[in-house]
Amino acid sequence: MNILKILLVDDEEEFVTTLAERLELRGIQTRWATDGEEAIQMIESDPPQIVILDVMMPGLGGLEVLKRIKAQHPQIHVILLTGHGSTKEGIVGMRLGAFDYLMKPLDIEELIKKMQEAIKSRP
Amino acid sequence: MIEHNEKEVAFFGKITAGFTHEIKNILAIIKESSGLLEDILAVTEDEAFPHKDKFKKSLNRILNQIQRGDDITTHLNKFAHSPDHSPTRVDLNEMAEQVIFLAHRLARLKNVDLVASPHDASIMVKTHPVALQMALFLSIEIFLDSITSGGKIILSPRKVRNKHIVRIHHEVAMPDVSHIPPAISSSTRWKSLQEAMAYLGGMVETDGTALEILISLPESIDE
Repeated sequence: MNILKILLVDDEEEFVTTLAERLELRGIQTRWATDGEEAIQMIESDPPQIVILDVMMPGLGGLEVLKRIKAQHPQIHVILLTGHGSTKEGIVGMRLGAFDYLMKPLDIEELIKKMQEAIKSRP
Repeated sequence: MIEHNEKEVAFFGKITAGFTHEIKNILAIIKESSGLLEDILAVTEDEAFPHKDKFKKSLNRILNQIQRGDDITTHLNKFAHSPDHSPTRVDLNEMAEQVIFLAHRLARLKNVDLVASPHDASIMVKTHPVALQMALFLSIEIFLDSITSGGKIILSPRKVRNKHIVRIHHEVAMPDVSHIPPAISSSTRWKSLQEAMAYLGGMVETDGTALEILISLPESIDE
């Protein structure tokens, strides 16, 4: 895989920082944000190729962030993170343009596979 | 009274579902943290350090327990969301699997295996999911109350002509009379089971052998 630039967005800071470290160990350039507003600003200043986005966040929720990303940067792939009870939001998210959704706790190999699929699907 | 109970159940479900999301987040953090330790071990594979094997074993144990916690939380979350839409269409095969998971701990205390024998196709009914799970759980409890130890309880959803049935039967390892439990209908839980089935518009029967409970449901509770 070529060097990937991704952005992780989740309000659980310990989750995003640790996952970011693991992805960096695999050669994936990873930044992170802990709320939707911060994520939007980071995307505006330096758009990533992929955003990994938690659906359930306080403040600007994941689906609202997704809508804004797709409106301004339709080329960015978004993979949603959901709890098992919020699969519905994952499906709604895909209708809004998300590439796919994954359940927490994550399987990092599955996440990487999903990111590779997203990059390959780029027109 | 029933309306009041439904509100209480919905409240209970909402709070429980919220906490299962929190537990999932905790499990996700533990999983990534132990995953990071695994990654570091993998990149330093050739370097020896004291107690490396114990370290690896402990990590493995943590990952197994995360998986166990995730499975439990997933089923608890599903259960907590049961009152969200009631009545709603459910698959009796899935309901049997779900209740087996919920009753697994109780059965394990008596060394009893809980097994689903699903129908070869989905059996969809429109019903109240919480009450149905309660009825299936009560059926399992009735058998467990009378079992000293061992044996197998099998839940078999079936569609026979237009009847939607779940057969719950207790399979004893040895067909010894001393293993046969007392009559099901004498159980203190039998009345509760009958009430639950009446609420679901269905019925409950026992064949008199004390080894089988048969519950039947209408295709739709609106009928």
